[in-house]
Amino acid sequence: MIEDIRALARELLEKGAVECVIGYEVGPTGRVRPAFVYEPGEVERLIFDGRCDQNLVTYLTRRNKPRKKGEEVPTTAVVVKPCDARSLRVLLNEHQVQRDKVYIIGVACPGMQNADGTPELRCTRCDQRVPLLYDALCGEPPEVPTVRDAYEDVQQIEALPLEERLAYWLGELDRCIRCYACRQACPTCFCSVCEAERDDSLWVGIADRIPEKAFFHIIRAFHQAGRCTECNACEAVCPMGIPLSLINRKIAKDVAQMMGGYRAGESDEPTPLVTMLTGEEAIDEIH
Amino acid sequence: MSGDGFEPRIVAFLCNWCSYAGADTAGVSRLELPPNILPVRVMCSGRVSAEMVLKALLSGADGVLVLGCHIGDCHYGSGNHRTVKRIPLLRRLMTYMGIEPDRLRLDWVSGAEAGRFAKITTEFVEAVRALGPLSLPLREEL
Repeated sequence: MIEDIRALARELLEKGAVECVIGYEVGPTGRVRPAFVYEPGEVERLIFDGRCDQNLVTYLTRRNKPRKKGEEVPTTAVVVKPCDARSLRVLLNEHQVQRDKVYIIGVACPGMQNADGTPELRCTRCDQRVPLLYDALCGEPPEVPTVRDAYEDVQQIEALPLEERLAYWLGELDRCIRCYACRQACPTCFCSVCEAERDDSLWVGIADRIPEKAFFHIIRAFHQAGRCTECNACEAVCPMGIPLSLINRKIAKDVAQMMGGYRAGESDEPTPLVTMLTGEEAIDEIH
Repeated sequence: MSGDGFEPRIVAFLCNWCSYAGADTAGVSRLELPPNILPVRVMCSGRVSAEMVLKALLSGADGVLVLGCHIGDCHYGSGNHRTVKRIPLLRRLMTYMGIEPDRLRLDWVSGAEAGRFAKITTEFVEAVRALGPLSLPLREEL
């Protein structure tokens, strides 16, 4: 599979079909990190294995503008796993990325692994091994497990009494240091001026206290409603180990339940939160 | 007045075209309305974002009421279609985070429904009164 990716990257760069290939490489400390390859001679840097868990689609929105005034938007090739492909579909639906400016190198995903070799939790819940959209597919599709996500982790929190839930979340969110790594790593968090960093603090104050921190995380999660593909990039980069995916997954679960089984990135429809009602009049919480 | 003296503070987001007019009609008709409601006029219930609701709760409100035009009557065509999806989703998220869902209510009041406005506000104030004050850390300072 690595050879396929390298050969494809070399061909694309030599032809001039793309300006840059975004993939994975091993950094100087031995950890896998994103790689930006501009020269055909450098494609040997690229790797792909169970450690490549970053979502590279994040970088596409930043590349979706001309280098200089009057120039065209550069074309980029990007290595995407099935979860990343769903993020990319969300960005395409929202016109944040131009389809003809991105070459999608899909990889048949073996599932990502933790440092100790055990499968990542999110990969044990995933039933996609081949990306939903790609220009070229590398690797042989592994056997598809038939498990569908049951949201057991979310249900555990839901089963707690109300006061314990509040205490749990205040405790978890109090660890936040407002470094915004979650926001930066998130492919669907692409506002050029973040509401949480406005000079006038219109909604979210910049203080490092519980209400502001909780406000920031709730709002950030809510803005991803129907758009979060549960790629787990936010939680993976959190230096304080806050279980952010529990908030995102709760919203994803409710969106699917209330809005006709909608799952982000699996169709050409944008998030149901910005569209008109289409037969979901049965949203039951209205009195 | 309740025995312990707790009077809930309710922030009500009223849409300019239906619910604010409905509140006005209720006032002109001299209906009895609870004094706990702090009305905020918005151009459309679709304008009421999750930020607004959370900010109200964190700034000292014990409950938030969102009132808009009935589905199909929106002045802008489909503004309330977004509200009807957003607010129930936020209600569920609030509950997940440990705040009672009954502190947030979405309903529809047209410009002529003065009685309905009085009924909904009274009901909601009583529901929040039963829940007691919302206690969140540092909320008054935000």
